[in-house]
Amino acid sequence: MADADVLERLVAQVGWQIRRRRAEFYGLRGLFYGAIVGLVPLLLKSAVGPAAPLIALGVALLGAAAGALRGLTLPIPAADAARLADRTFGLQDRVATALEWGSRPDRSPLVDLLVADLTARLQDLDGRGVVRRRWPRELRLLLLPAVLMVLLALAPPIPFPAGRLPVFSSSDDAETPEERGAKVLTDERPKAAKRAPLQHAEMERNLSARGGATGGSQPGDLAALFKDTALAAQRPDFQSFLKKGDERLRMLEQVDRLPDLKRDFTQSQYKMIFQRRKELFGGLRPDQISPQKLRELLEEMQRMGRKGGDWGGDIGEGMEGLESGQTDRAMEAMERALSKMRAMEERGRDGRGLRGGREEGRRGGRGADRGGSGSDMDADFGEGEGLLPGKGRNPNPKGDPTERLRGNPFDAGVEGEARSGRKEGYDTNLLGKGTNVPSRLQYMGVFGQYRKMMEEAMAREQVPRDYQSQVKEYFESLEERR
Amino acid sequence: MTNAERVQEFVEAFGSLKGEVGKVIVGYEEVVTDVLVGLFAGGHVLLEGVPGLGKTLLVKTLAAGLELSFSRIQFTPDLMPADIIGTNIILEDPEGRRHFQFQKGPIFGHILLSDEVNRATPKTQSALLEGMQEGSVTVSGISHPLPSPFFVLATQNPIEMEGTYPLPEAQLDRFLFKLRVTYPALEELNEIIDRTTRARETEVRRVMTGPEVLRFRELVREVPIAAHVRELASFIVMATHPQWEHAPEVTRRFVRYGSSPRGAQALVLGGKVRALAQGRYNVSVEDLKGVARAALRHRIILNFEGEAEGVDVDSLIGDVLERAEAMSRKGKEVFLR
Repeated sequence: MADADVLERLVAQVGWQIRRRRAEFYGLRGLFYGAIVGLVPLLLKSAVGPAAPLIALGVALLGAAAGALRGLTLPIPAADAARLADRTFGLQDRVATALEWGSRPDRSPLVDLLVADLTARLQDLDGRGVVRRRWPRELRLLLLPAVLMVLLALAPPIPFPAGRLPVFSSSDDAETPEERGAKVLTDERPKAAKRAPLQHAEMERNLSARGGATGGSQPGDLAALFKDTALAAQRPDFQSFLKKGDERLRMLEQVDRLPDLKRDFTQSQYKMIFQRRKELFGGLRPDQISPQKLRELLEEMQRMGRKGGDWGGDIGEGMEGLESGQTDRAMEAMERALSKMRAMEERGRDGRGLRGGREEGRRGGRGADRGGSGSDMDADFGEGEGLLPGKGRNPNPKGDPTERLRGNPFDAGVEGEARSGRKEGYDTNLLGKGTNVPSRLQYMGVFGQYRKMMEEAMAREQVPRDYQSQVKEYFESLEERR
Repeated sequence: MTNAERVQEFVEAFGSLKGEVGKVIVGYEEVVTDVLVGLFAGGHVLLEGVPGLGKTLLVKTLAAGLELSFSRIQFTPDLMPADIIGTNIILEDPEGRRHFQFQKGPIFGHILLSDEVNRATPKTQSALLEGMQEGSVTVSGISHPLPSPFFVLATQNPIEMEGTYPLPEAQLDRFLFKLRVTYPALEELNEIIDRTTRARETEVRRVMTGPEVLRFRELVREVPIAAHVRELASFIVMATHPQWEHAPEVTRRFVRYGSSPRGAQALVLGGKVRALAQGRYNVSVEDLKGVARAALRHRIILNFEGEAEGVDVDSLIGDVLERAEAMSRKGKEVFLR
């Protein structure tokens, strides 16, 4: 394996060159940092003595030696050295390949050819200049510490200030004569302490002048400007501010008087009162309820009753109960008032908004035709009555909705049946049991909606032409009636 | 025969075959080299170029230079799979008994020219797939091995895309190289005119046989590759993937899908043939860079932005190579490590 030896020699040669260049590189870097550290003994030359320049030089050289040693001892992977040789000699990765495959047991016959070819090429090459020299960045700055070292070596020792840190011990007996002598150097503090009372006296004088006290004004004394004014006689009274502040704080403590910001003023009066009642009563027995808060609630209900409510008597009874200490009686009265309040609110929401003025009159007329069905509030048809298909007095089982609207060309709403009680939504025309539920949809809306559905169905479904014409004629007839 | 003689034989055969093709084909030296690299690497080659540039002539000339059977299929939209791979026909023996016999299609040739391969339907294109990948075709549940060496050279036209069925990525990936046949230079054009308009046609000698091709294919696989060169091939393929953390900016911006591992195989195999053809016994970084564009350009799928910006895949591969080389050298600076 002479060829392999040649290859290994080449790699070793390249490796040694790398080590040398590394030693140079890191040696110069170490010299730079050593020179910086070497400045320290030169700065302390007065303390170190005449040996300082020699020590500084030694430190710098020691840094260089340490750097060079590091460069020499850093590991060099053979594969990397081989790649470097390939790049340097333009060997197209022959060295790296041969080095890697030369020792492998599964190497192909071509590897021997490769090694032989490489050996032949290497014999013609001069392996001395494989690794180029590199300079560290610190080399540009090396001159600075070097010059400083020379200057400091030639210059006289830098004197250091004598003295010690002051002793903060309270005992004067412990002070030595040397310390007392050193204290003389820092004799500024007593003088400053003496000047302070003088400044205080001057301030007092100025204040007394502002306060209207007798005394001649001095030139530049601003207090003299206010001497003859009303303000001049007034001193700021911070206590009064504090007192007012106390009052405000006390007001803040009265939580009950603060407005309830959580209250939703957009909701109904009944709901508002109901919620407050719920908060007040929540899980408490009558004897545990605050009479004061109950009174406030009754007063608020009374205020609402003045705007048209009929629960004034109940509120009065509740107030009486409170006066006599009968909280349960007051509560019962309040419940009655609350029921009346709810009834009034429901009357306000009984669907009248859906009917136009003309229809309102018409409905009253029809109600009269039928013999009337009670009060104005209960003027709606009863359950199962009216003109709905198969129900009531109309003999036509299919109903006749368009005829009812004949007298009203405007679409004010289909005359439907308003149920008693709360009505949260609209109902549509239904068959079977659903007929009990009256219609409250706008006729135009219903007609337009169904017409649109019809047109969509015609476009989507495969409806025979004859049926299409029938459906079309039906909707046209509805439109004519309207 | 010693190994050195084997290598020498390959170098000479490669050179002589290239020379025979060069007798007919003017210019396109790089294309011809890459076609031969594909042949000896054991892959298939897709040639892309506008009509009239001599793609078909190149393949025919190559086939003429080899002592191998040659088939040509002109792909058309109405071409059926049976037209390529063959079909069972009823035969009657002398005794009057009838039986089915497999009639081989044109795919049963050593060198197959699939002309305008993107004009056939995907069903017909896929009939070619099994043959390209497996070296065999299956008809009625019976597998029929294709002759060896089996070398498909497909051509396609990048223009006139109407009525064509672009090859899907899976099928493109089965081609080792995709070569771009560009327009010839002025001097080459003059030479083409001279050669093709004179009375006497150039004769192409047969310089290589099928067994020789197979032997050279085995030799190629013996070429050693260093670890750092192999690693570079992996870095190149990885740098085509936009999801890779070290992918270059162009890849992140313009690439939808990067190369498959077949791309790395194509890089290394192509590098081996290239090195051996130059009389070298190892794969170098330059070999990988030399075949990178041919091996990767059909394996990189651009995203919408890349298509809209008209990004050239070849220049993108250039950026990929730079990044891969930087990654390969990173941390391996021998001097200061």
